[in-house]
Amino acid sequence: MNAIEVRDLHRVFRATIGTIRRRTKEVTAVDGISFDVREGELFGLLGPNGAGKTTTVKMLTTLLIPTGGSATIMGYDVVRDADSIRPRIGFIFGGERGLYWRLSAKDNLRYFADLYHVDPDMAKRRLPRLLELVGLNGREDEKVEGYSRGTRQRLHVSRCLLHDPQMLFLDEPTMGLDPVGARELRQVIRNLVAEEKTVFLTTHYMFEADALCERVAVINHGQIVALDTPEGLKRHVEDLSVIEVEVFGIAQQMVDSLRQIPEVDTVSVENRDQKQAVRVHSKLGSAIVPEIMHRLDGNGVRLGRVTVREPTLEDAYVRLVGGEA
Amino acid sequence: MIANLRVVRTTFELDVKQQAVGLFMIFGVLIQPLLIAIMAIYMLVARDPSRGIYIVVGSGMTGLWTSLLFRGTFNINAERFMGTLEGIVASPSSLAAVVIGKTLASVTLSLLSMIFSYGLASLIFRFPLNVAQPVPFLLSLLVMVFAFISFELLISPLMAVNLSRSGWANALEYPMYILGGFLFPILLLPGWSNPLSYLLAPYWAARVLHATSSGVATPGDILLSWGDDAHPGRRVHCGILQTFRDRATPRPCARYSELDVGRVLR
Repeated sequence: MNAIEVRDLHRVFRATIGTIRRRTKEVTAVDGISFDVREGELFGLLGPNGAGKTTTVKMLTTLLIPTGGSATIMGYDVVRDADSIRPRIGFIFGGERGLYWRLSAKDNLRYFADLYHVDPDMAKRRLPRLLELVGLNGREDEKVEGYSRGTRQRLHVSRCLLHDPQMLFLDEPTMGLDPVGARELRQVIRNLVAEEKTVFLTTHYMFEADALCERVAVINHGQIVALDTPEGLKRHVEDLSVIEVEVFGIAQQMVDSLRQIPEVDTVSVENRDQKQAVRVHSKLGSAIVPEIMHRLDGNGVRLGRVTVREPTLEDAYVRLVGGEA
Repeated sequence: MIANLRVVRTTFELDVKQQAVGLFMIFGVLIQPLLIAIMAIYMLVARDPSRGIYIVVGSGMTGLWTSLLFRGTFNINAERFMGTLEGIVASPSSLAAVVIGKTLASVTLSLLSMIFSYGLASLIFRFPLNVAQPVPFLLSLLVMVFAFISFELLISPLMAVNLSRSGWANALEYPMYILGGFLFPILLLPGWSNPLSYLLAPYWAARVLHATSSGVATPGDILLSWGDDAHPGRRVHCGILQTFRDRATPRPCARYSELDVGRVLR
């Protein structure tokens, strides 16, 4: 049996606009997605902001009712059997919210243990073990408001493990963490999979998905545009080369001008402090570099380093979401 | 059942810990009732010191009402802002157990208003403060607490499903001080407003507390007020609020809500 089965899942939000002439606007957050997650698998859901990742997680964790389609968690329907699902799952939504900041870590964990109907004796035994798992032992009596972002995120992990759930939903758990904190948290996630828990992870970070996930689904505009292993996704771009040009202050029309080159597949721009990295995917490899340089240089943009390299999972992702990353 | 009772207890403990150091607690429960008590003392008691207990009870009730109204309005929304509502709603516990725990915490802390008002009037202004009928007074206080808890249990879900309704709390605060007869009898108000007071449970609570503290309550009065406080007044509240809740809940549930709070509350 699959741990998660999703079939043609939809979610449409309606919002009212205007004060006097009120109009209703519909936004389709999730538009007919289908996928399965096997028991004990670490499954990744990747997508740009607003792609529908969090809405999907909220529907799977019984916090939001789908407007169409169906989803089951361990055989239980997310709408009809929400009460059966809730004790069996744990979840973390990215960011620092979700804890009582004026209380200590221990008070937070005790409260959530009661909410999840964990036997008090069991909770007493489990608490030190969980604090140790996330590296918080010795700090359990400190107020949460004094914790760093990474420490709070690790406390979130211990909170969602209190009732020993079979399945975990982690919505961008490393968002905003420093590299060391993020690496520690990824190790915690690996340990969970080693304990045969099923993990459903959403993330922005390709290397994280590459390093952790057995399979990855890419979601864009509410639809799944690819579902494969990280290696399989990389094959989507194995015929392409990536030309990366560092520039200082590029305008949108220059990016559009690069997109008009017939041999160019996709163009994306990443901000890096003062400068930007323009990433061009093309089958021509280094042969297209002169044309790119001509178009950029001709517009008076200051240019930095130029590199031509093999594609990564991130490049596959950028191609799949059409340069929106 | 036992697990849910444990949730009520833990929520109560946690909420008392959180509220006790909050600014709302300091202003709404302590400073505001004290200011009202001081004003009322200068206005009313200076001429008739025997009315001291009336002011103590009345200003205590203002603190109790303010605290219950605002905590009832915001206690679920506060969880939403803190991001803890998801964790509560998606847990196997009943949300009602959480709201009951929070309400008990609000009531316990807001009863401090009455104690502080009593302390102010007796220690600083040195007014004679004797509760003439202490046993009926304490029993009436208990009945009032239950009536107020039932009110908070109804407004919490109503306010949670639509944030814009929380503005009503501001509009309901002062009119209740007046229509409820907390600080002066409603007979001083225009006659047409009296039926409105009769519909409000806090009016009956204030009436019986004032009467028992000043020793003018007959057993018939007390029983009538208890019944009105705990039953018809509350029933009117329940009827009105239930109607709003039933109307309000399916819409956000189906159309707006990020969180399916509606389904949990029904």
